[in-house]
Amino acid sequence: MAEEFDFKVGVLACNGIGRLVSTITRMAGNRIKELRPNEVVLLSSGALIVKDSENLALFEKYPVLVIDGCRPHCASFLCDELGKKAAAKIYVADVMAENKINVGGEKRRGLTAKGEKLVEALAQKAVAEIDRLIADEMMSTL
Amino acid sequence: MAGKVCLQPCLGLRKESVLCRQAFYVVHEDLRPDTTVLGCGPALNANVQEDVDFINTYPVIAVEACDKDCATKLVAKKGQRAARTLRVTEMAKALGIDLASLPEGQNIDTSDPAVQTLAAHLAGVVDEMLK
Repeated sequence: MAEEFDFKVGVLACNGIGRLVSTITRMAGNRIKELRPNEVVLLSSGALIVKDSENLALFEKYPVLVIDGCRPHCASFLCDELGKKAAAKIYVADVMAENKINVGGEKRRGLTAKGEKLVEALAQKAVAEIDRLIADEMMSTL
Repeated sequence: MAGKVCLQPCLGLRKESVLCRQAFYVVHEDLRPDTTVLGCGPALNANVQEDVDFINTYPVIAVEACDKDCATKLVAKKGQRAARTLRVTEMAKALGIDLASLPEGQNIDTSDPAVQTLAAHLAGVVDEMLK
């Protein structure tokens, strides 16, 4: 529905490297883009950290969904640092708890079915938020 | 110097970033676990103490997926200078890695020859820096 209106949501996943959840957020970003190719812009945390103009323009243009992997909430920190209030936030641990997914034994270098289940749950939650945000944007213009 | 090297990837979204990330896992977990630490960019930016300590304690290899040089700039933003800045595209060319054959928007298995080749090269860079 967003295609003809050019309403999009910027997805800012932490996309770190240190923990299993780093891989989960990165893979979820890819899955979200698969599910909503025309409604989503994936934002690069690395590029935003150094205020790359191309990424910064997208960050500023669209409402932003933040996905935090681990406790420091680095994606939220980055969003705050850049002076924007996130339109929505998702924390991976909440999705794990809501879906009762155990990823014990998974490796950050590559996921098995257990990890992919969490990726899918995270992506589905994100897509629901994205659909809500786009509907909200669209309604505000009618 | 402390006998270790901090591996700092750019952590972008393109496949060159994924290749770098996967190669760093191989270096840190398989090839040089005792002489490397793995620096997380978003955590460093958020002043997570472990990551701040990494760049303040060890020389940094920043590996970049493109010419934006985000990892190098992040280290500078936090008051340090990367000891080496390496670019995936240049290393791939020198090592005969066919970047065009790698998938975009997917993970790259750490057993992939491209990952293993890049990791072996980066392990050599670590050794050279610690001589």
